[in-house]
Amino acid sequence: MIKVLKSGVLLTIQDFGREGYRHLGVSKAGSLDRYAQIIANRLLNNNDNDAVLEITVGLCELEFSCDTVIALHGADLQATLDGQAIHPGWTYAVKNKQVLSFATGRAGLRAYLAVKHGIRSTEIMGSKSTDLNACFGGIEGRTLTTGDEIPITPYYGKFIKVGAIAPPKRKLIRLHPSPHANLLGEPLLSNFVSTAFKISSNSNRMGVRLEHSKNSLMHSHSLPSLGVSPGSIQLPPNGEPIVLLNDGQTTGGYPLLGTVIEADLHQFAQFRPLDNIEFKYVTFEEAAKAKQKLDGHLHQLSLALKNNL
Amino acid sequence: MKPAPHIYALTNSSLLLDASHLDATDRLSIQKKIWALTSHCKSTDEFTDLVPAMNSLTLYLKSDKHLNKWLQVLPTLWSDIKSSTFKGKHHLIKTTYKGEDINYVAHYHNLSTDDVINIHSKAKYHVLFLGFQPGFAYLHGLEGQLHTPRRDEPRTRVPKGSVAIGASQTGIYPADTPGGWHIIGHTDTALFDSTSEQPCLIQPGDTLEFVPLVNKGATHD
Repeated sequence: MIKVLKSGVLLTIQDFGREGYRHLGVSKAGSLDRYAQIIANRLLNNNDNDAVLEITVGLCELEFSCDTVIALHGADLQATLDGQAIHPGWTYAVKNKQVLSFATGRAGLRAYLAVKHGIRSTEIMGSKSTDLNACFGGIEGRTLTTGDEIPITPYYGKFIKVGAIAPPKRKLIRLHPSPHANLLGEPLLSNFVSTAFKISSNSNRMGVRLEHSKNSLMHSHSLPSLGVSPGSIQLPPNGEPIVLLNDGQTTGGYPLLGTVIEADLHQFAQFRPLDNIEFKYVTFEEAAKAKQKLDGHLHQLSLALKNNL
Repeated sequence: MKPAPHIYALTNSSLLLDASHLDATDRLSIQKKIWALTSHCKSTDEFTDLVPAMNSLTLYLKSDKHLNKWLQVLPTLWSDIKSSTFKGKHHLIKTTYKGEDINYVAHYHNLSTDDVINIHSKAKYHVLFLGFQPGFAYLHGLEGQLHTPRRDEPRTRVPKGSVAIGASQTGIYPADTPGGWHIIGHTDTALFDSTSEQPCLIQPGDTLEFVPLVNKGATHD
C-alpha cells in the first residue's frame, strides 16, 4: 500500500487508457506522457501498460507501507525519499514507512511514478485509468486525496540500479494536415504555421489552449459534430486553438487545424503555461519515421536493460 | 454521378468519412448509411474505435499498415452499402414529466403541459450518435412544435436522468452535469454504468420513445 499524506495539485492513477468505447462518448483518459509511463515501467521490468501515478506540478507526499522498488520519469519535480534526492530515469529501493516527497520543478509539468508490478487498483472498462470527467476508474474516479491508500504488491526481491534518458523535447510540433483546409482557407493555415503560440494557464487533461497576440485565426464556421481524439487541434471562432488531450470529448463541432503526429503528442504533457510552441505540417512518411525513431529509442532502452539484468 | 462523401486520412492510423455536405435536408437517411457502414467495419476487427458523429464516421485503425487499403475501399463501400442492413434496438424510457421547466416550455409555445407531454412522448427518436459525456445520446425526431431556445443561464447542475429540450434537440442526461437545456422530466433508467458488462444502454442507431408515468410510485412494475 502507498498512503497519500499530501495529494498536491492533481494526483491520479493512469495507464494507457481506454479503447473501444469512444462511440459511447467515453474518453481515452490515461497517462498524458505515454513515453514517461513506458520508460518508468521498463526500468522495473514491468509491463508497459502497468498503472502508474501521474503527479502534476508536485507538492505531494506519499508513504509506503511495504517494501518495493520504484522508478520515476517525466518532469523532474525535485523528489526526495526520506530527504535523499531521487532523480527521474533511475530505479530506487523503498523500505516500509519511507516517505517520498515532491517539491516542484522548473521544467516539465508531470512526473510518473511506477512501482514494481504496477498499481493494483480495479480495472474498469479495460483500464485502471482515472476518468475525472465521468468520475470512474482509479479510486472512485477522482483525484487522490489525503488518507487514500493505493494498492500495490510488496516486493523484497533484488533489483538493479539502472537509468534511462528521456526522448528529446521539441518546441516545433509536427502535424498531419487539416481535413478542413478548404473550409478554413490557405491564408488562415499559413498564418497558423507562422504564429508563435503561448501555452495558456487555462489548460488541463482535456486540452491545451494556445494563446497568441494576432487575431488572424478568427473565423465564423460551425460544423456538424465529428469525431475528435487526443491530438486533434480544434479552432473555435475566437481563433485560439485547442490541442485535445486524453480526457477530451469524443466528438466536437469546431473545424480542425490538423492532428499532432503520434510521436509528438506526449510533449503536451510537459508544456507549462507561457511555454512557446510552433507548428509545422509534415507528410505521413515523416510522421511514420518520427514514430520509428521514438520506438527505436525505447527498443535500445530495452536492449540495454536486458544486458544489465 | 452520385455525390460522394469526402474521405481523409487524419493520421497514419485514422480516417474520416465526411458525408455532412451531401443532403442537409435528409440527415437521417445519411445517418442510416453511417450506421450500416460502422457495423460493417466493426465486423472486420481492424479498428480499435469507430465513432459515428453527425453524418460522419471517424475510423481508428489497430495498425497503420491498413490505412491505404481503407482509403481505397471506403468510397466503394459507401456507394454499395444498404442502410437496411443495420437494425438498432428499441428502448422505452419511462419518464415522469414533472421537470422544473415544463411549465416554461408549455407557456413558451402556448400549449398546456399535457400537450407538451403528448407531443414529446408520441414521437419515435433515433439515436444519431453519442458524445459530450458517456451515454449522452444526440436524438433525432423532436417535433418542431417543441423546439425551444436554450436557457439564458445554464444550470450549474442538471441532475442525472433529466429529460430535457435544447433548441431542436431533446436528450437525457446520463450523469449530473452543467447544462443549458430545459428540463421537462426525469427518468430512473440508467444510461451509463461503468461497472456493467454493457456500460451504455443506448447505442448509435437505436431508437427510443418516452413513456409517461402518470403518478410516480403508484406503478408496480
